[in-house]
Amino acid sequence: MRIEYINPFIEASFDILNEVLKTNVKRNELYLKKLGESMKGVAVVIGVTGKVTGRIVFDMTEETALKLASKMNGENIKEFDEMARSTIGELANMITGRAVTRLEKDNLSFYFTPPTIISGENLHIYEFSGMEALIIPLDTGLGIIEINIAFKEN
Amino acid sequence: MIIFDENGLPTGRKVTGGRVRVVIIDDSQFVIKHLMQILLSRDFEVVGTAENGKEGIELVKKLKGQVDLVTLDITMPEMDGIQVLKEIKLIDPNIIVVMVTALGTAEAVKEAIKYGAKGYIVKPIDREKVIERIGQILR
Repeated sequence: MRIEYINPFIEASFDILNEVLKTNVKRNELYLKKLGESMKGVAVVIGVTGKVTGRIVFDMTEETALKLASKMNGENIKEFDEMARSTIGELANMITGRAVTRLEKDNLSFYFTPPTIISGENLHIYEFSGMEALIIPLDTGLGIIEINIAFKEN
Repeated sequence: MIIFDENGLPTGRKVTGGRVRVVIIDDSQFVIKHLMQILLSRDFEVVGTAENGKEGIELVKKLKGQVDLVTLDITMPEMDGIQVLKEIKLIDPNIIVVMVTALGTAEAVKEAIKYGAKGYIVKPIDREKVIERIGQILR
């Protein structure tokens, strides 16, 4: 996976998280995830096409999702209800949108799908095309979000 | 034409009397809630909201002649904002459409302008940014 596709996502994540959460976001070491590894409990999936084909998964625990949704709404959200899901989906949408805008500045065409949210215990993710996923772990101050990116160049 | 306050920011009140009537079309409840709070705080009248393009078109059809402004999300499932924009312009070409998008100056935004959108707001939805942008569009 080429770094010029990854950097915009790292930069966009920092920008958006800092803007909406007003916390000091830190990035932990990037790593590659093997096939079929478990997810944390709430996964927002966004499909990407264009210069590459693939998907981005924003992976976090439900506790983190609730803290993020509470902060973004300025109220205490205790259940992972429709508003919480909408908020987390929107967060993923904003990060992806910002990253795609940066990629388009480099004349790389990308399109992305609206977010899909999958939640539950014991979630696993499998890729059929043999893609390896690169993980960007972000410490938001309200919990960790792992941005899980798997792209294949077209 | 709307009334601007002493700081040059738009109010939702029209010079001719009455308030600017808005429909919000966005698949995110989060965005609808925040846009609505911002618009209501400036005296705009939110006459309806829809969570997908099809519902949004039906709403604009039903409220024909009673809508001044539509805020329209670009990335939505089934029918995207560009398709919805074209339909709205067929129903009532006088409605001012403002695109709301996570995409900055991407192709989709340029396309929306080509099909008659008056401007766009880039997310995250920030109170000052939204008010200022709508002011520029309505000025």
